[in-house]
Amino acid sequence: MKIVAAAALSVTALLGGLSAVSAQERGGVMTYGRYTDSLFLDPVLNDANVDIWVMTNFYETLIMSSPDGMTLKPGLATEWSVNEAGDEVTLKLREGVKFSDGTPMTTEDVIWSLNRAKNPDNGIWNFILASVDTVTAPDAGTIVIKLKYPDPTILAALSVFNTAIMPKAAFEAMPGETDAEKAQEFGKHPIGTGPFVLTSWDRGSSMKMTRNEYYWAKGADGKPLPYLDGLNFEVIPDDATRILKLQSGDIDGAEFIPFARVGELKADPNIKMELFPGTRVWDIIMNVRPEINGKPNPLADEKVRQAMNYAANKEALVQVVTYGVGTPLTSFMASSTPMHSGDKPLFPYDLEKAKALMAESGYPDGFKISILTIAGNQDDLGITTALQQMWKAIGIDLEIRQVDNASRTEQYRAGTFEMRTGGWTNDISDPSQITSYFAYSPTIDALHSGWKNAEVDKLFEESQKEMDPVKRAEQFARIQEIFNATGPTIPLYETPYPVALSQKVNGFYQIPLGNNIFTETWLDQ
Amino acid sequence: MASYIARRLLQLIPTVLFILIVVFALVRLLPGDPASAILGDRAVDADVERINRELGLDRPLVVQFGVFVKSVATGDLGDSIHLKLPVTTLIADRLPVTIMLTVMAALIAVVMAVPLAFVAALRRGTAADSTVRGAFQVGLSMPVFYLGLILLTVFGAKLRWFPVGGYGEGFVDNLYHLFLPAVTLAFSLSAILMRNLRSAIIGVIDAEYVQFARSKGLAPKLVLFRHVLRNALISTVALFGLSIGTLLSGAVITETVFAIPGAGRLMVDSIYGRDYPVVQGLTIALAVLVSVTFLLTDLVQVWLDPRVSR
Repeated sequence: MKIVAAAALSVTALLGGLSAVSAQERGGVMTYGRYTDSLFLDPVLNDANVDIWVMTNFYETLIMSSPDGMTLKPGLATEWSVNEAGDEVTLKLREGVKFSDGTPMTTEDVIWSLNRAKNPDNGIWNFILASVDTVTAPDAGTIVIKLKYPDPTILAALSVFNTAIMPKAAFEAMPGETDAEKAQEFGKHPIGTGPFVLTSWDRGSSMKMTRNEYYWAKGADGKPLPYLDGLNFEVIPDDATRILKLQSGDIDGAEFIPFARVGELKADPNIKMELFPGTRVWDIIMNVRPEINGKPNPLADEKVRQAMNYAANKEALVQVVTYGVGTPLTSFMASSTPMHSGDKPLFPYDLEKAKALMAESGYPDGFKISILTIAGNQDDLGITTALQQMWKAIGIDLEIRQVDNASRTEQYRAGTFEMRTGGWTNDISDPSQITSYFAYSPTIDALHSGWKNAEVDKLFEESQKEMDPVKRAEQFARIQEIFNATGPTIPLYETPYPVALSQKVNGFYQIPLGNNIFTETWLDQ
Repeated sequence: MASYIARRLLQLIPTVLFILIVVFALVRLLPGDPASAILGDRAVDADVERINRELGLDRPLVVQFGVFVKSVATGDLGDSIHLKLPVTTLIADRLPVTIMLTVMAALIAVVMAVPLAFVAALRRGTAADSTVRGAFQVGLSMPVFYLGLILLTVFGAKLRWFPVGGYGEGFVDNLYHLFLPAVTLAFSLSAILMRNLRSAIIGVIDAEYVQFARSKGLAPKLVLFRHVLRNALISTVALFGLSIGTLLSGAVITETVFAIPGAGRLMVDSIYGRDYPVVQGLTIALAVLVSVTFLLTDLVQVWLDPRVSR
């Protein structure tokens, strides 16, 4: 099998479809309102979306994810191929790429960056490169990655943020003894090949960036990107204030618009209300162990779970909680995930069927059960109070327990929770990550639910070595079929990323994994 | 007086020690740990264990406490787990913002409360009295975030007199940015102060010594300021000192609504993130701050009424 990307396809051409051709204007500084600040800008050692989603502005990967998240496009590598055996990847590096400090990117930087990313002692993302054995450079423009075993996810892995290419010399010149200490310093002033350079960072308040003068990609006018002279992130935690600041023209964009206000902002003539397709899925996770804390667990009964699923009116939840912004799930993974399968909503609302299933189950008279939600989270509260009503109809008495995230995670990991609300976003353009957490029991006991299916476990292991994309898609289709029918969740809905922009902002987008892309963003002057 | 201050400063030491123990224990009694707080649903056992080991959280509590006390004694409060910055740097960046906000709010509260308390007290039972009291009643019962949002919408977004949140750059700009949040924060405090001062003035104004001062032929203004206000203020100053704690907790909400990077927001984020060093360090700093405020209000009380020091 051979995958070759056409080198002739420039990034611009691939992205071009998103914004109107030729009207791009240069200059200006865009201010973007974020709900919280980043924590740690190191691609390898970070562990939060608040970092991951903005790091693409500073650091770039060899391969990149397309705007729709379904395919890969050239990044710092212009073309690549995988050998017949599927255990060796050869990549051609883009010529003339420089880091934001003006030094050229070399094969040494690439080798060092990938070795650092795969080091099992470094951070929580090294599993992404678990198959990588050695990284070498036969010549100044070529990288060869030898794998320990054939890995169908390797190309997608090379587009994940943690495999970003960093300047070895600049990193190693940082004060500190260990990699972690050096990263701590380096992360304060990131140097990468991305379109922007961080000039100041006022923790908890603002990040100021200017355009990277050395950026390699060209805009529609043939001159180097980005179009913007600068980019500012302003931290405005309160949703209402963030929207007010956008409406008063103080900022040009605001992320994480609450669903309740999407309709109102769509109607505002001064605002572009964007809904970028995401891989965000929402569900209720059920503990299906036969006993919880020594007591028999009704959720272990598959008929009970199916009854609860049929009694949960997802269409109503979409309206009540997401104000019509979300769509009912057709599989446990979002429809923008590669190899997603399923075309109709799971467990469409059917109260009669739910009642019949309950009558057949071991709990015909119903039971009392609790659900853990995040205190103060309006979506959680909306979902659970609606479910409380819906499940009353089949004799289930739902007790809502509001806790903070860390407390919930503790009960979740200990397997002592009964139910909880859940949300998930993919970090890689491949179905393997979500499947590993949701369905493959060795990772985290299938969402710490205790659910286990031998066929799913076997299929997943095979899918991780299957180099034929058609066969691999079949494996994932079967996994989804089994999990969707018998799994430990109530699949609710998937949602896009709601971002409100000023009318003068063009060419900004979020990819389904969440990354904010400002490379081709421009402002009407 | 000097010995009084010295005595009070010495009392600070056991207070802070007590707080050290309490905050160290409390933050660890919360369910969950920093690793699962930040990794959330993506947490796998191996990562949680590795992070806890790196942070020294796998060691016995007594050992952890020993390390903590030893570093506090040398002025080192450790590094933030999530922000990877020294806690002392974070406190030096964030706490002054909150102190400025609180001081401004306190000043505004006093400026609003004192004259209006006089008006209400001297015109007791009139329309002016009920208007002042009614207005403050509304201020007292309105949630801080709601009042903040109204002020932001009207004076920020609509009239453009003030910025719509944020902190600005440079001292003067900071004060300008902090004005609306300070008013928001001041409202409920000034309502409490006003009511207290009003009844204190009413209590004093008919006292025998005031009547005596008046019958001596002293100018009414002099009577009002030297005899009435000074005596009426004693309880209000005590109340004011006690309210500083409330004001600081109100700052948490105000900082969120107005997007001000202060210590309140840092504290809330750190508690949710189980960032033990930051929670510990900030609590100590805030405890010292509140203690010093108590000391200052006590000194003012001593000045107003020398009997207090005895």
